[in-house]
Amino acid sequence: MKSEGGPKKQDGKQRRKRRRAHVMVAFIKLTLLEAVTEFLWSDGPESLLIPGGSDILVGPRPFTDKHILIDISQVTELKKVTVGAGGVLSVGVGLTHQEIVDHPVIRRRARLLQLACGRVGSIQIRNRGTLGGNLGNASPAGDSIPALACLDARVVVAGRSRRREFDLLSFFTGPGETALQVDEVIESVQIPEREGRSVAFFKKAGQRRGMCCSKASVALLARRRSPKSLSDVRVALGAVAPTVLRIPEVEQVLEGRRLTPAVIREAAEACSRAANPIDDIRSTADYRRQVVGALLTEGLFEIADHMQLLEQRRRSAKRRGRRR
Amino acid sequence: MKITVRLQINGAEARFEVDSTERLVDTLREKAGLTGTKVGCGIGECGACSVLLDGKVVSACLVLTAQVDGAKVATVEGLGKAGELSDLQGAFVREGAIQCGYCTPGMLMAAEAILARYRRPTTEQIRKGISGNLCRCTGYAKIVSAIRKTAGRRAIQRSGR
Repeated sequence: MKSEGGPKKQDGKQRRKRRRAHVMVAFIKLTLLEAVTEFLWSDGPESLLIPGGSDILVGPRPFTDKHILIDISQVTELKKVTVGAGGVLSVGVGLTHQEIVDHPVIRRRARLLQLACGRVGSIQIRNRGTLGGNLGNASPAGDSIPALACLDARVVVAGRSRRREFDLLSFFTGPGETALQVDEVIESVQIPEREGRSVAFFKKAGQRRGMCCSKASVALLARRRSPKSLSDVRVALGAVAPTVLRIPEVEQVLEGRRLTPAVIREAAEACSRAANPIDDIRSTADYRRQVVGALLTEGLFEIADHMQLLEQRRRSAKRRGRRR
Repeated sequence: MKITVRLQINGAEARFEVDSTERLVDTLREKAGLTGTKVGCGIGECGACSVLLDGKVVSACLVLTAQVDGAKVATVEGLGKAGELSDLQGAFVREGAIQCGYCTPGMLMAAEAILARYRRPTTEQIRKGISGNLCRCTGYAKIVSAIRKTAGRRAIQRSGR
């Protein structure tokens, strides 16, 4: 492992020269984060990081300007889940979506992330694709991103002998573009602890439920303030703008108010207004604008039902208590 | 660039010289001669190429062979014995869960992943477990029922032991 950055790198360079004649792509497996950043430092512009590879093998393969594949699927440092000072949950981005869905600590502390990761692709994709790949691709349709935006996550990136941290949304600079520099690799996301009881949903519209890329998606996270209203509401939208958006207009509509049909309608309208979608192969701008409102409506009604149920249970428990 | 990769396919060790961009499904079909695993769409939409990689169901068209050196791969050829269907395959036949058969190998592997995860899967768990696999002939009701019956039979066998 010690020598990984060294001799193989030379190897890669020699092979790259040959590749220009023979259309060859070099491949190197690195298992230490430090080796990855060292390698990127010298060969970054020509290298392509492969965590799970599930996206790279779809569509036009970018092997014309990237002739070194760096396999980072075995970097164990990227698979750690820890709870640090102040209750901050650190999730290594090398985990696959399914590993996140099945993780008990993430379940307790960042359920919304699990809801979103559980809707990525199909089970076949979730077993292979990673959180880091979802973030690194920086697709506006990346399902983990709206969830992490609501969770106030920060992104930690590791470069050659340095680390940088970003607010999640400031990490994305455009469709497919991030603030990552050439020697950097995404290491973890940091999710602060939340107080009180949360409600959350992640909804997406796509071609089919079993396996699709989002035409539009909505994530919501809030605290149950009273039996009937929400506070500290966060709403983020995917695939309706060049990058994922937080929507303060909608958050303000919902803040502290009872979830009546009228309030929900008002929020949905604000949501559609805030969307700034485009026509593309997956959908049209018009449909996307409408469907984000519909997804929000569906999710809010479910939350309203859920809160009503909890309230009924609380009341009947109280009544039973009194009878005794 | 050629890379030497060792795989344990259906319990047997094998070595392959593969190109850095070679897909697992091509290694299986072209180099190992295991053509039971089908290529449907080649872009991870259809699930026809589903295999178990270290016990987890993946689309073999979206896996670089070079990345999975040392892994255990289970394909449809590993189900049952020579000339004998596995219990799951038998249930597919009895339930009429096969028509053209192109989705079947992938469907069987996705089903094995469900059965490994849940001892008595609910219909919902089965439907979710095969939701990444497309069938355009029989529909899914018979496939779901074949998987459910296999789960039941295996549960009885376990309790009998």
